[in-house]
Amino acid sequence: MATLNLQHIDKIYDNNVQAVFDFNLDVKDGELIVLVGPSGCGKSTTLRMVAGLEDISAGKLLLDGRDITATPPKDRDMAMVFQSYALYGHMTIYENMAFSLTLRKENPNVIHKKVLAAAEILGLTSQLNKKPAQLSGGQRQRVAMGRSIVRNPKVFLFDEPLSNLDAKLRGATRREILLLHKRLKATMLYVTHDQTEALTLADRIVCMSMGHVQQVGTPLELYDSPANVFVASFIGLPPMNFYDVRVSGDKLVGEGFTVSLTPEEQHTLRGYNNKEITLGVRPENIVEGADVPVTVTTNENLGMNTLVHGYVGGNKAVKISAKLKGWRDYKVGDTASFTFNRKHFFDKETTNAIKGGEG
Amino acid sequence: MTAEDRAIQRDRMRFIKNSLSANLALLGILFNVFYFISICKSDVGTWYYTILIGASIVYNLVFMLAVFLSSEGVKNYKQGYSYLLAALGVFQIVRIFIIPARAHAAETLINGETALVMQDGQFYRVTTYLIISAVCLIASAAVNLIRCRELAEHLKALDSQGA
Repeated sequence: MATLNLQHIDKIYDNNVQAVFDFNLDVKDGELIVLVGPSGCGKSTTLRMVAGLEDISAGKLLLDGRDITATPPKDRDMAMVFQSYALYGHMTIYENMAFSLTLRKENPNVIHKKVLAAAEILGLTSQLNKKPAQLSGGQRQRVAMGRSIVRNPKVFLFDEPLSNLDAKLRGATRREILLLHKRLKATMLYVTHDQTEALTLADRIVCMSMGHVQQVGTPLELYDSPANVFVASFIGLPPMNFYDVRVSGDKLVGEGFTVSLTPEEQHTLRGYNNKEITLGVRPENIVEGADVPVTVTTNENLGMNTLVHGYVGGNKAVKISAKLKGWRDYKVGDTASFTFNRKHFFDKETTNAIKGGEG
Repeated sequence: MTAEDRAIQRDRMRFIKNSLSANLALLGILFNVFYFISICKSDVGTWYYTILIGASIVYNLVFMLAVFLSSEGVKNYKQGYSYLLAALGVFQIVRIFIIPARAHAAETLINGETALVMQDGQFYRVTTYLIISAVCLIASAAVNLIRCRELAEHLKALDSQGA
């Protein structure tokens, strides 16, 4: 397989709109990188630049150390799987999978072997004589993947491949992609706006916003140590709660609540005493306690957990969502009291995470 | 070609259509059309065999429909269409003796002089068209028959392996 290096990549369209700013990424051999972010953040543009479907305005793209910035897409040895499958409706599944190799005038017997091997991997052997219209969405997406596999490319590119599938099928196909990655040990770049896909699939995640890379890291790093407020709010479901608070010695004073700081947290915030910061708390890091008075507005039982939504300290503008373990039966208007188990701190001006030693 | 290559070729037939047979059948139609146009453009149609030419037009329409359907049949390894194509191919040879040979032997008066209804050049041309058409149809039938048998044997072998 291959390594891929994106160095200071910019994308500026003819109308001077810049879609991607100074994108840097080193993809290791056999790594599955997920580009995640909201619509319009530049993730698909980046993928299309890697595929060669969009020109790179500035910067370099290296494949195995070879500069392919200006190489035509057909010579890049990459295969792309699209959201819309892009299958030929008049061809059978076998013919669809064999098509790219037929165009390259490969030996028909070799093509046959490759198609059967790919169909075996993807569980499509019994479907090879069918037309795409006879298959389900998940099967069609597998055919699209199969078409990529037979080419044995250096890099696989996936552009939101699961977006057309329903929730159940999406989960199943996601697991198949993960198994495929483990089996092929291929270098893969995967674009999605779905954080669940990102967290479950990725070796590393690139979180993007407005054309800028916000953070690159493992799923756990992005979840546990978000680099800024954007990443913290984007990763995690339900999203993180944010509060404007003032650091006051060993306490954080917010609107309608006061919480204590542990010695480690005090150490982290030692340069912020008497300053305003942003406090972030994940709903799953909230437990019933005595620090934060909450008026409940909704109570959603999910079986193992209960999602409790409300507002803090009687102020309807300061909202809170808590994911409590077990079954709860709060009624609308009930008052509850919560404690924050784990806290994230962000600089109010830069929105960057406050690490120990800053300030 | 190694035994493995032959085995793969046979296995490919499970997924690849028999386009050789189908295309040969379509080629048979094409040469039949050449023949038909050559006949209709000449004096033969208007002067000599009026009823036969009428029947020939009807036959040509039926022929083209039958061969086209057969080409779709053989494309999907349907053995029965081979026999139909072979029969139509043989009949293309017979057709040489229905109009062209008789017209070639018949004489007519043109500007007070005796001449053949169908000149040598036209006769050999239309005969060639019919022969090529016949060869295409018979070849299509033969190729399909061979492939059908190979495929049937291969599927049987796969079944026995599966069992």
